[in-house]
Amino acid sequence: MDKLKITAHLLAPLVTGGGYMTLDGLLAALLFDRLHDVDAAHAAIPVRQTAGLLHASAAIMEPIRERVSFIAALRPTHSIDPDHVQKNKHGQLHRKFDTSLTNVMNSYAMLTAPTVTWYAEGDADRIGQLLAPVQFIGKRRAAGFGRVAQWQIEPDDLDGIEGTFGEPLRPVPVDMFKGDKTHPIVDAAWRPAYWNPIHRTACYAPT
Amino acid sequence: MLAFFNDNFGRHLVEQTDDPVADARRALSSGHRMKKGGGPQRIASGWAIIRPAKSTMQFELAADGIEYSKQTRYEAFLAELENWDGTPRMFIEFAKRPVPVGNLFRTFDLRQVRICSPSGVETFDFTKAPEKDGCKTHKVLWKLKKGEK
Repeated sequence: MDKLKITAHLLAPLVTGGGYMTLDGLLAALLFDRLHDVDAAHAAIPVRQTAGLLHASAAIMEPIRERVSFIAALRPTHSIDPDHVQKNKHGQLHRKFDTSLTNVMNSYAMLTAPTVTWYAEGDADRIGQLLAPVQFIGKRRAAGFGRVAQWQIEPDDLDGIEGTFGEPLRPVPVDMFKGDKTHPIVDAAWRPAYWNPIHRTACYAPT
Repeated sequence: MLAFFNDNFGRHLVEQTDDPVADARRALSSGHRMKKGGGPQRIASGWAIIRPAKSTMQFELAADGIEYSKQTRYEAFLAELENWDGTPRMFIEFAKRPVPVGNLFRTFDLRQVRICSPSGVETFDFTKAPEKDGCKTHKVLWKLKKGEK
Protein backbone atom coordinates (compact mmCIF):
# COMPACT_ATOMS: atom_id res chain seq x y z
CA MET A 1 0.00 0.00 0.00
CA ASP A 2 1.32 3.45 -0.98
CA LYS A 3 0.54 6.87 0.42
CA LEU A 4 -0.99 8.82 -2.45
CA LYS A 5 -2.30 12.18 -3.53
CA ILE A 6 -5.06 11.89 -6.11
CA THR A 7 -6.14 14.93 -8.09
CA ALA A 8 -9.05 15.33 -10.47
CA HIS A 9 -8.59 18.27 -12.84
CA LEU A 10 -12.08 19.61 -13.50
CA LEU A 11 -13.47 21.10 -16.70
CA ALA A 12 -16.92 21.88 -15.25
CA PRO A 13 -18.43 22.74 -11.85
CA LEU A 14 -19.16 19.88 -9.50
CA VAL A 15 -22.72 19.41 -8.22
CA THR A 16 -23.17 17.72 -4.86
CA GLY A 17 -25.96 16.90 -2.47
CA GLY A 18 -23.58 17.36 0.45
CA GLY A 19 -21.41 14.97 2.43
CA TYR A 20 -17.68 14.55 2.55
CA MET A 21 -17.22 12.86 -0.85
CA THR A 22 -14.52 10.52 0.45
CA LEU A 23 -12.32 8.71 -2.05
CA ASP A 24 -13.42 5.32 -0.75
CA GLY A 25 -17.04 6.33 -1.35
CA LEU A 26 -16.20 7.16 -4.95
CA LEU A 27 -14.25 3.92 -5.42
CA ALA A 28 -17.06 1.90 -3.81
CA ALA A 29 -19.58 3.40 -6.24
CA LEU A 30 -17.32 2.51 -9.20
CA LEU A 31 -16.91 -1.03 -7.90
CA PHE A 32 -20.65 -1.39 -7.32
CA ASP A 33 -21.28 -0.53 -10.99
CA ARG A 34 -19.15 -3.56 -11.90
CA LEU A 35 -20.04 -5.99 -9.12
CA HIS A 36 -23.72 -5.14 -8.45
CA ASP A 37 -23.22 -6.15 -4.82
CA VAL A 38 -22.83 -3.57 -2.05
CA ASP A 39 -20.88 -5.79 0.36
CA ALA A 40 -18.58 -7.09 -2.38
CA ALA A 41 -17.95 -3.53 -3.58
CA HIS A 42 -17.03 -2.34 -0.09
CA ALA A 43 -14.75 -5.33 0.47
CA ALA A 44 -12.92 -4.65 -2.81
CA ILE A 45 -12.01 -1.00 -2.14
CA PRO A 46 -8.23 -0.95 -2.78
CA VAL A 47 -7.47 1.21 0.25
CA ARG A 48 -5.87 0.30 3.58
CA GLN A 49 -8.26 -0.28 6.46
CA THR A 50 -7.60 -0.07 10.20
CA ALA A 51 -10.41 -1.61 12.27
CA GLY A 52 -12.84 -0.78 9.49
CA LEU A 53 -11.59 2.79 9.07
CA LEU A 54 -10.56 3.42 5.47
CA HIS A 55 -7.40 5.42 4.87
CA ALA A 56 -8.96 7.73 2.28
CA SER A 57 -9.66 11.41 2.75
CA ALA A 58 -12.69 13.52 2.05
CA ALA A 59 -12.62 15.62 -1.12
CA ILE A 60 -10.46 18.70 -0.62
CA MET A 61 -11.13 21.74 -2.76
CA GLU A 62 -11.28 25.51 -2.57
CA PRO A 63 -14.44 26.20 -4.51
CA ILE A 64 -16.72 29.08 -5.27
CA ARG A 65 -20.00 27.86 -3.76
CA GLU A 66 -23.42 28.46 -5.29
CA ARG A 67 -26.83 26.87 -4.93
CA VAL A 68 -28.38 25.34 -8.01
CA SER A 69 -31.80 23.76 -8.53
CA PHE A 70 -33.00 21.37 -11.19
CA ILE A 71 -36.48 20.33 -12.21
CA ALA A 72 -36.71 16.61 -12.75
CA ALA A 73 -39.71 15.52 -14.79
CA LEU A 74 -40.66 12.05 -13.63
CA ARG A 75 -41.95 10.05 -16.58
CA PRO A 76 -42.25 6.36 -15.78
CA THR A 77 -41.45 3.94 -18.56
CA HIS A 78 -44.58 1.97 -17.77
CA SER A 79 -47.83 2.78 -16.01
CA ILE A 80 -49.78 0.85 -13.38
CA ASP A 81 -52.62 -1.34 -14.61
CA PRO A 82 -55.77 0.36 -13.18
CA ASP A 83 -57.30 -3.08 -12.57
CA HIS A 84 -54.66 -3.65 -9.91
CA VAL A 85 -55.40 -0.43 -8.01
CA GLN A 86 -58.07 -0.33 -5.30
CA LYS A 87 -61.10 1.78 -6.30
CA ASN A 88 -63.02 4.24 -4.16
CA LYS A 89 -66.66 3.67 -3.18
CA HIS A 90 -67.80 5.13 -6.52
CA GLY A 91 -65.74 2.59 -8.39
CA GLN A 92 -63.24 5.24 -9.52
CA LEU A 93 -59.48 5.27 -9.05
CA HIS A 94 -58.14 7.26 -6.13
CA ARG A 95 -56.71 10.06 -8.24
CA LYS A 96 -54.40 11.24 -5.51
CA PHE A 97 -52.47 8.01 -5.96
CA ASP A 98 -51.81 8.90 -9.59
CA THR A 99 -48.31 10.33 -9.50
CA SER A 100 -47.38 9.11 -12.95
CA LEU A 101 -46.72 12.60 -14.37
CA THR A 102 -45.07 14.93 -11.97
CA ASN A 103 -42.14 17.31 -11.65
CA VAL A 104 -39.87 17.59 -8.63
CA MET A 105 -37.33 20.29 -7.86
CA ASN A 106 -34.03 19.31 -6.22
CA SER A 107 -31.58 21.80 -4.80
CA TYR A 108 -27.83 21.14 -4.65
CA ALA A 109 -24.54 22.88 -3.98
CA MET A 110 -22.53 23.75 -7.09
CA LEU A 111 -18.78 23.94 -6.48
CA THR A 112 -16.54 25.60 -9.02
CA ALA A 113 -12.85 24.83 -8.63
CA PRO A 114 -10.00 23.80 -10.92
CA THR A 115 -9.19 20.63 -8.98
CA VAL A 116 -10.43 18.19 -6.36
CA THR A 117 -7.80 16.43 -4.26
CA TRP A 118 -7.88 13.31 -2.08
CA TYR A 119 -5.17 11.69 0.05
CA ALA A 120 -5.18 7.94 0.57
CA GLU A 121 -3.11 4.92 1.45
CA GLY A 122 -3.85 2.20 -1.05
CA ASP A 123 -2.98 0.27 -4.17
CA ALA A 124 -1.96 2.95 -6.68
CA ASP A 125 -2.35 0.71 -9.74
CA ARG A 126 -5.79 -0.56 -8.77
CA ILE A 127 -7.02 2.93 -7.84
CA GLY A 128 -5.68 4.22 -11.15
CA GLN A 129 -7.48 1.48 -13.07
CA LEU A 130 -10.77 2.32 -11.38
CA LEU A 131 -10.50 6.09 -11.83
CA ALA A 132 -9.04 6.24 -15.36
CA PRO A 133 -12.36 5.71 -17.20
CA VAL A 134 -14.26 8.16 -14.96
CA GLN A 135 -15.06 11.28 -16.97
CA PHE A 136 -17.63 12.85 -14.65
CA ILE A 137 -18.04 12.95 -10.84
CA GLY A 138 -20.78 14.21 -8.51
CA LYS A 139 -24.45 14.64 -9.31
CA ARG A 140 -26.00 15.72 -12.65
CA ARG A 141 -23.19 14.08 -14.55
CA ALA A 142 -25.41 13.45 -17.56
CA ALA A 143 -25.94 17.21 -17.80
CA GLY A 144 -22.19 17.77 -18.03
CA PHE A 145 -21.41 18.73 -14.44
CA GLY A 146 -18.27 17.44 -12.75
CA ARG A 147 -16.41 16.74 -15.97
CA VAL A 148 -12.88 15.50 -15.29
CA ALA A 149 -10.15 16.37 -17.78
CA GLN A 150 -7.45 14.27 -16.14
CA TRP A 151 -6.70 12.10 -13.11
CA GLN A 152 -3.32 12.49 -11.47
CA ILE A 153 -1.95 10.03 -8.90
CA GLU A 154 1.34 10.79 -7.19
CA PRO A 155 3.21 9.71 -4.04
CA ASP A 156 2.61 11.75 -0.89
CA ASP A 157 3.24 11.65 2.87
CA LEU A 158 -0.35 11.78 4.17
CA ASP A 159 -2.29 8.64 5.07
CA GLY A 160 -5.77 9.95 4.22
CA ILE A 161 -6.80 10.25 7.89
CA GLU A 162 -4.75 13.07 9.43
CA GLY A 163 -3.41 16.19 7.77
CA THR A 164 -0.05 17.88 8.28
CA PHE A 165 -1.24 19.68 11.42
CA GLY A 166 -3.17 16.72 12.85
CA GLU A 167 -6.48 17.87 11.41
CA PRO A 168 -8.97 15.18 10.36
CA LEU A 169 -8.97 14.58 6.60
CA ARG A 170 -12.11 12.43 6.78
CA PRO A 171 -14.72 11.49 9.40
CA VAL A 172 -12.92 9.48 12.09
CA PRO A 173 -14.74 8.09 15.16
CA VAL A 174 -13.73 9.93 18.32
CA ASP A 175 -12.15 6.85 19.94
CA MET A 176 -10.03 6.13 16.83
CA PHE A 177 -8.73 9.65 16.18
CA LYS A 178 -5.16 10.41 17.28
CA GLY A 179 -4.81 13.88 15.79
CA ASP A 180 -5.68 17.39 16.96
CA LYS A 181 -8.71 17.02 19.24
CA THR A 182 -9.48 20.72 19.43
CA HIS A 183 -11.60 20.30 16.29
CA PRO A 184 -15.37 20.09 16.88
CA ILE A 185 -17.01 16.68 17.16
CA VAL A 186 -19.82 16.03 14.67
CA ASP A 187 -22.25 13.25 13.86
CA ALA A 188 -21.01 11.70 10.60
CA ALA A 189 -20.95 8.38 8.79
CA TRP A 190 -17.45 6.98 9.19
CA ARG A 191 -17.56 4.13 6.69
CA PRO A 192 -19.55 3.28 3.57
CA ALA A 193 -22.40 3.26 2.80
CA TYR A 194 -22.21 6.92 3.82
CA TRP A 195 -25.91 7.54 3.14
CA ASN A 196 -26.90 4.98 5.77
CA PRO A 197 -27.63 6.65 9.15
CA ILE A 198 -26.69 3.38 10.88
CA HIS A 199 -23.04 4.25 10.13
CA ARG A 200 -23.30 7.69 11.75
CA THR A 201 -21.36 8.22 14.97
CA ALA A 202 -19.51 10.93 16.90
CA CYS A 203 -16.51 11.81 14.74
CA TYR A 204 -13.77 14.30 14.20
CA ALA A 205 -14.28 15.45 10.62
CA PRO A 206 -13.09 18.10 8.18
CA THR A 207 -14.86 21.45 8.59
CA MET B 1 -26.91 8.09 16.45
CA LEU B 2 -30.24 6.31 15.96
CA ALA B 3 -29.83 4.66 19.38
CA PHE B 4 -29.68 8.18 20.87
CA PHE B 5 -32.90 9.16 19.07
CA ASN B 6 -34.76 5.95 19.87
CA ASP B 7 -33.58 5.57 23.48
CA ASN B 8 -34.31 9.14 24.48
CA PHE B 9 -37.33 9.96 22.34
CA GLY B 10 -38.64 7.32 19.93
CA ARG B 11 -39.22 4.63 22.56
CA HIS B 12 -41.79 6.86 24.25
CA LEU B 13 -43.78 6.97 21.00
CA VAL B 14 -43.46 3.59 19.30
CA GLU B 15 -42.61 0.04 20.29
CA GLN B 16 -38.96 -0.77 19.67
CA THR B 17 -37.86 -3.60 17.39
CA ASP B 18 -34.43 -4.78 16.21
CA ASP B 19 -34.59 -2.35 13.27
CA PRO B 20 -33.55 1.12 14.57
CA VAL B 21 -34.09 2.83 11.22
CA ALA B 22 -37.67 1.56 10.95
CA ASP B 23 -38.32 2.46 14.61
CA ALA B 24 -37.09 6.02 14.09
CA ARG B 25 -39.08 6.34 10.87
CA ARG B 26 -42.27 5.18 12.58
CA ALA B 27 -41.75 7.62 15.45
CA LEU B 28 -41.40 10.49 12.98
CA SER B 29 -44.10 9.58 10.49
CA SER B 30 -46.86 7.60 12.21
CA GLY B 31 -49.79 8.94 14.25
CA HIS B 32 -49.53 9.27 18.03
CA ARG B 33 -52.19 9.81 20.68
CA MET B 34 -52.65 13.45 21.61
CA LYS B 35 -52.91 14.89 25.10
CA LYS B 36 -56.13 16.68 24.09
CA GLY B 37 -57.69 13.40 22.93
CA GLY B 38 -59.09 12.57 19.52
CA GLY B 39 -57.53 10.42 16.87
CA PRO B 40 -53.80 9.80 16.55
CA GLN B 41 -51.86 12.54 14.79
CA ARG B 42 -48.44 12.69 13.24
CA ILE B 43 -46.06 15.28 14.73
CA ALA B 44 -46.68 17.94 12.11
CA SER B 45 -45.48 21.13 13.82
CA GLY B 46 -43.35 22.44 16.66
CA TRP B 47 -39.94 21.29 17.75
CA ALA B 48 -38.09 18.77 19.91
CA ILE B 49 -34.84 18.84 21.84
CA ILE B 50 -33.57 15.35 22.51
CA ARG B 51 -31.21 15.00 25.46
CA PRO B 52 -29.46 12.01 27.03
CA ALA B 53 -31.90 12.18 29.93
CA LYS B 54 -35.24 13.91 29.43
CA SER B 55 -36.34 15.19 26.03
CA THR B 56 -38.67 18.12 25.46
CA MET B 57 -41.08 18.86 22.63
CA GLN B 58 -43.76 21.40 21.82
CA PHE B 59 -46.46 19.25 20.16
CA GLU B 60 -48.48 17.93 23.10
CA LEU B 61 -48.77 14.18 22.80
CA ALA B 62 -50.20 11.81 25.39
CA ALA B 63 -46.85 10.02 25.63
CA ASP B 64 -45.22 9.88 29.04
CA GLY B 65 -41.46 10.22 29.42
CA ILE B 66 -41.30 13.43 27.37
CA GLU B 67 -41.59 16.96 28.71
CA TYR B 68 -43.81 19.43 26.89
CA SER B 69 -43.12 23.13 26.46
CA LYS B 70 -45.02 26.07 25.01
CA GLN B 71 -41.85 27.99 24.08
CA THR B 72 -41.26 28.86 20.42
CA ARG B 73 -38.58 26.85 18.64
CA TYR B 74 -36.17 29.76 18.72
CA GLU B 75 -36.72 30.46 22.43
CA ALA B 76 -36.20 26.79 23.24
CA PHE B 77 -33.13 26.35 21.03
CA LEU B 78 -31.53 29.54 22.36
CA ALA B 79 -32.09 28.55 26.00
CA GLU B 80 -30.61 25.12 25.31
CA LEU B 81 -27.52 26.47 23.53
CA GLU B 82 -26.90 29.15 26.16
CA ASN B 83 -27.09 26.56 28.95
CA TRP B 84 -25.05 23.92 27.15
CA ASP B 85 -23.70 21.24 29.49
CA GLY B 86 -21.48 19.59 26.89
CA THR B 87 -23.60 16.45 26.41
CA PRO B 88 -25.11 15.64 23.00
CA ARG B 89 -28.37 17.16 21.80
CA MET B 90 -30.61 16.64 18.81
CA PHE B 91 -32.55 19.71 17.67
CA ILE B 92 -35.55 18.92 15.46
CA GLU B 93 -38.02 21.21 13.70
CA PHE B 94 -41.23 19.46 12.67
CA ALA B 95 -43.43 20.43 9.75
CA LYS B 96 -46.22 19.01 7.65
CA ARG B 97 -43.83 16.63 5.91
CA PRO B 98 -42.15 14.03 8.18
CA VAL B 99 -38.49 14.51 9.06
CA PRO B 100 -36.52 11.87 7.10
CA VAL B 101 -34.33 9.64 9.26
CA GLY B 102 -31.40 10.66 7.05
CA ASN B 103 -31.77 14.25 8.30
CA LEU B 104 -31.15 13.31 11.96
CA PHE B 105 -27.83 14.47 13.39
CA ARG B 106 -26.70 15.08 16.94
CA THR B 107 -24.98 18.27 18.05
CA PHE B 108 -21.86 17.80 20.17
CA ASP B 109 -20.23 21.22 19.97
CA LEU B 110 -21.47 24.82 19.80
CA ARG B 111 -19.17 25.32 16.81
CA GLN B 112 -21.16 22.76 14.79
CA VAL B 113 -24.81 23.13 15.81
CA ARG B 114 -27.19 21.12 13.65
CA ILE B 115 -30.90 21.80 13.24
CA CYS B 116 -32.74 18.86 11.68
CA SER B 117 -35.92 19.45 9.66
CA PRO B 118 -37.93 17.85 6.84
CA SER B 119 -36.19 20.01 4.26
CA GLY B 120 -32.61 19.34 5.38
CA VAL B 121 -30.08 20.16 8.07
CA GLU B 122 -28.82 23.61 9.02
CA THR B 123 -25.27 23.68 10.40
CA PHE B 124 -23.75 26.74 12.04
CA ASP B 125 -21.15 27.97 14.52
CA PHE B 126 -23.03 29.42 17.48
CA THR B 127 -19.85 30.93 18.92
CA LYS B 128 -19.67 33.35 15.99
CA ALA B 129 -22.04 35.86 14.43
CA PRO B 130 -23.81 34.62 11.30
CA GLU B 131 -22.40 35.61 7.96
CA LYS B 132 -24.48 37.41 5.38
CA ASP B 133 -25.34 34.17 3.59
CA GLY B 134 -25.70 32.20 6.86
CA CYS B 135 -28.72 30.05 7.66
CA LYS B 136 -31.99 31.45 9.01
CA THR B 137 -31.91 29.75 12.41
CA HIS B 138 -28.42 31.08 13.14
CA LYS B 139 -29.49 34.63 12.25
CA VAL B 140 -32.67 34.48 14.37
CA LEU B 141 -30.91 32.91 17.37
CA TRP B 142 -28.10 35.45 17.18
CA LYS B 143 -30.59 38.35 17.16
CA LEU B 144 -32.40 36.86 20.16
CA LYS B 145 -29.08 36.36 21.93
CA LYS B 146 -28.21 40.00 21.41
CA GLY B 147 -31.64 41.03 22.69
CA GLU B 148 -32.83 42.27 19.31
CA LYS B 149 -36.32 41.63 18.00
